[in-house]
Amino acid sequence: MAVGESQLDGETESGAEDEVEARVGWRYTVARIKQDTTARLGLYIVSFTLFVAMYTLIDSNLSRLTFGQVSDYTFAQLLPFFDHPTHIPPPGEGTQHMPPYFPLAEQSWNPLPAGGTLEHPLGTDHTGRDYFTRIVYGTQVSVFVGLISTFIGLSGGTIIGAVAGYYGGKVDDILMRIVETVYAIPPLILIIVFTVFIGGASIWYAVLGVGIAFIPIFARIIRSQVLSVREMDYIEAAQAAGVRDRNIIMRHVVPNSFAPMLVYATLQIGVTILIVAGLSFLGYGAQPPTPDWGQMLNIAHRNYMHSNIWLSIWPGIAIMITIMGFNLFGDGLQDALDPQIDD
Amino acid sequence: MSSEPLLRVENLKTQFFTEEGTVRAVDGISFEVREGEIVGLVGESGAGKSVASMSIMGLVESPGEIVGGEITYKGETLFGLEEGPDGELRERDDMLSSEEIRTRIRGNEIAVIFQDPMESLNPVFTVGGQLREFIELNRGLPEDEARAEAIDMLREVGIPDPEERYDEYPHQFSGGMRQRVLIAMALACEPSLIIADEPTTALDVTVEGQILDLVDDLQEKYGTSFIWVTHDLGVVAEICDRVNVMYLGEIVEKAPVDDLFYDTKHPYTNALLNSIPRPDRTVTELEAIEGVMPEAISPPSGCRFHPRCPDAREVCKRAHPDAKVVADADGEPHEAACVKHDAFDAGYDQSPPLEGTAVDTGSAAVEESESELTANPAGDDSGGETRE
Amino acid sequence: MKLLKYATYRLLQSIPVLIGISVITFLLANLGPGDPVSLMLQGQEQNEELVRAIEQRYGLNKPLHERYLTYMGGLLEGDLGQSIHYRRPVADLILERVGPTLLLVLSAYAFALVTAIPLGVVAADKRNEPSDHASRVAALIGVSTPSFWIGIVLILIFAVKLEWLPSSGLVYPWRPPSTYRSIDGHLELYYQSLRHLLLPMIALGTLQMATIMRVERTQMIESLQGEYVKLARAYGVPERTILRKHAFQVAQLPIVTIVGANLSTAIGGAVIVETVFNINGMGQLFVDAIQQNDYQLMMGVTMMLGVLFVLGVIVTDISYAYIDPRVTYGESE
Repeated sequence: MAVGESQLDGETESGAEDEVEARVGWRYTVARIKQDTTARLGLYIVSFTLFVAMYTLIDSNLSRLTFGQVSDYTFAQLLPFFDHPTHIPPPGEGTQHMPPYFPLAEQSWNPLPAGGTLEHPLGTDHTGRDYFTRIVYGTQVSVFVGLISTFIGLSGGTIIGAVAGYYGGKVDDILMRIVETVYAIPPLILIIVFTVFIGGASIWYAVLGVGIAFIPIFARIIRSQVLSVREMDYIEAAQAAGVRDRNIIMRHVVPNSFAPMLVYATLQIGVTILIVAGLSFLGYGAQPPTPDWGQMLNIAHRNYMHSNIWLSIWPGIAIMITIMGFNLFGDGLQDALDPQIDD
Repeated sequence: MSSEPLLRVENLKTQFFTEEGTVRAVDGISFEVREGEIVGLVGESGAGKSVASMSIMGLVESPGEIVGGEITYKGETLFGLEEGPDGELRERDDMLSSEEIRTRIRGNEIAVIFQDPMESLNPVFTVGGQLREFIELNRGLPEDEARAEAIDMLREVGIPDPEERYDEYPHQFSGGMRQRVLIAMALACEPSLIIADEPTTALDVTVEGQILDLVDDLQEKYGTSFIWVTHDLGVVAEICDRVNVMYLGEIVEKAPVDDLFYDTKHPYTNALLNSIPRPDRTVTELEAIEGVMPEAISPPSGCRFHPRCPDAREVCKRAHPDAKVVADADGEPHEAACVKHDAFDAGYDQSPPLEGTAVDTGSAAVEESESELTANPAGDDSGGETRE
Repeated sequence: MKLLKYATYRLLQSIPVLIGISVITFLLANLGPGDPVSLMLQGQEQNEELVRAIEQRYGLNKPLHERYLTYMGGLLEGDLGQSIHYRRPVADLILERVGPTLLLVLSAYAFALVTAIPLGVVAADKRNEPSDHASRVAALIGVSTPSFWIGIVLILIFAVKLEWLPSSGLVYPWRPPSTYRSIDGHLELYYQSLRHLLLPMIALGTLQMATIMRVERTQMIESLQGEYVKLARAYGVPERTILRKHAFQVAQLPIVTIVGANLSTAIGGAVIVETVFNINGMGQLFVDAIQQNDYQLMMGVTMMLGVLFVLGVIVTDISYAYIDPRVTYGESE
């Protein structure tokens, strides 16, 4: 209790401070999330999707899988208890004879079996590829696209919003006019036009487009946060002490806006996945043969509505559960960080 | 105490059942309101004054609940429990149902004026419309008559151009004007009792004065009784006939207003009086009450005020006094809940003073639990009730 | 009238944004790597003279800012240029296609509001009871499900399996019944158009419904804790009146804002839902323009969708000002 000795004279004050810190600190947040059943469920779903995404990433190779080349991974590695072929062709040997568990290997035989078998729990798609494998691998695109584009939106928005809010005046006016304008074009439209502008349908362009389209949302939130923080005494004190603007923004203003931004970002990941699924559905997201839920829905919807309805069901359920995970987690975070109404 | 009082509250207990534990917000208070008088309910914030007044209206919100006591208004039971056949407490048959309380009591018999005039009016309806609605509901008047009555009432409480302001929205009124509207609402329903819950706390001092004058005038004119809930003894001196001082859910002193000020019987009231700035004393002479009020979730044992009390002695840690008549004030009883008065016979005079008194509530609490473990309560506490 | 003044003021205020939209779309459409001339000549022999003639005709040889000013000049006269793919004025095409999209978006909102508000109120009233939990789960599913997939599932159930409702196209109630072969009489026309509208309306409206329901619930809970509710209770106002009038009225204000802010999501959603249900609206026109590399058409449609959103926000702002007495139709803000 040496600490107690030295702090004796300031006991009540430091005690109060500890309490405040405990209430806003990580431990408190985590404790609240653990208490909240729905937030916990969200956390589980998010962790699970992240795990699947990471696993398929290690298992294959993100650049080659997601961005359009055939690669040498096996579904068998993911779920070893499945009956799978032992012969795995080396990369570059061609795709024609690859077994059906390869998400990218097109097969012409045995089209559209109903599924429900151990070999193909969800059946196969029109080229004979195992549907379950493709849905599992589809997690990768959704999750990474969601994370990366939210990160782009978040960092872009933070910079613009912080600068606009901190400097105010003309800088604020100009930046906010631009932000407002970008905000006024519906995101999906803006992203497609942008994708076409920089060179055609591709998942990378979609990621960038989604990120840019969501900059305004983050910029507006950060700006309003900065405006409220800017008026506080300690910022004035820092200014008076001659601390440089950039340091004030980075050290004092941005960290203070962290909690609401974290909540928004988590919820925004869900929105992003929703938008990207729509983009892929329209053909402006991930390109075949990359397994992607929106794109799989597009193919199923166009060609197999009548012959095999389940092809149109599974990817949708996957999208729904993933987004629900992020929404639940985001809601839980919001309650934990800012308990406006106690449920 | 000649005839039946207008309102009688007896041993009222209201508790809040929270995750952290049971909060005894109101813990066995008794008081009465007679016709035509203004009764003060005084205490620091958190003493349970507002909860007490909401209990009378039957408006305690979940997780709060009235768990005991009896409230009688004009001979009717607003709340009362009896023991059921299986030994459980149940509501008495003659107790008014919540529907009866809503239609017959709230508004037309007992009206309230709330603390915050800024938030109490609905922002999206006109002031006149809200007033008219309450008049229609509580006096059964048709719309046009209620409207005329509403405008009269607005004029009565001193709102200029009431016809025009009738159609304005709350945000177009200043705080003082809004409080006048709330007073108009209360009076317009022609109740016999108005509960004023810190009605002037949110106002400027000058406006507060105007409102107090207004209430004084109107009270004389209409003869309405008031329960005036406040933490401000200055307001009490100005307006109240009799005063109940509350501390941590209990009434610690009960007296006619003059006796409370000039013949103070409870150390807490004394401390409250000493903490009011007065022109005849310098700031250094001001005595703030030591420490903060403990939470009603874990009140100190014995007398609840003892950790902060300058007069506290060992006996105060054990003996929990209920208010007793300690003096006579021109035929009115003067009650206080402090064992230092002879009426309690708790052995105060023999009891040694507390060591390291009343500086830190936290350490006092520790000390007190220790002492309870080690020392047996001395046998001479016949007068005071010990808890446990 | 004050409200009219406020509307004019809001409209003027949005002019910079409208100009901004035109600049952004113009730049995106004209600075892209795709060369409009070669796109126009796809499959044809390219000779110098023809290229030059086309550049001359579309003014592509002039500097960028001049082209923008020409374009804006035309815009002010209602001329959005010629669609290269359809070989018709872009403005005509938009006028033709805007009806179905508006019908779809507005009916989706109507569906969302009519269902979400009562559900939200009930959830707030029965807070933490089973009906509240059920509606919260439903709302969560609603905000987590892509509208196009809801559309697909609806088609699978109601069109493919049950064969109750048509799976594609719209019947426009504003056209004379004689335009449709199998329809006679106005009654039949309205009936058929409702049948066609039902599934896409639900598909597009579900997200809005879920969002509005969540906000409605939160707002009602907050409103029910307001001091004015306490006051109403203290004056003996029946709980039902408090719920339906006192608390309800205050809680509706944020709903208006949400409707406005979500309009851009709804417009984006309409593009996809139109694709799923094969509806010839602005969304299809947009997709066509993109696929055909019809940059004039793309520019026109993008701008129109932006304008629709801005107008929608203005309409919601005005209705907010109309509902909330605290909004001064001010020069401030």
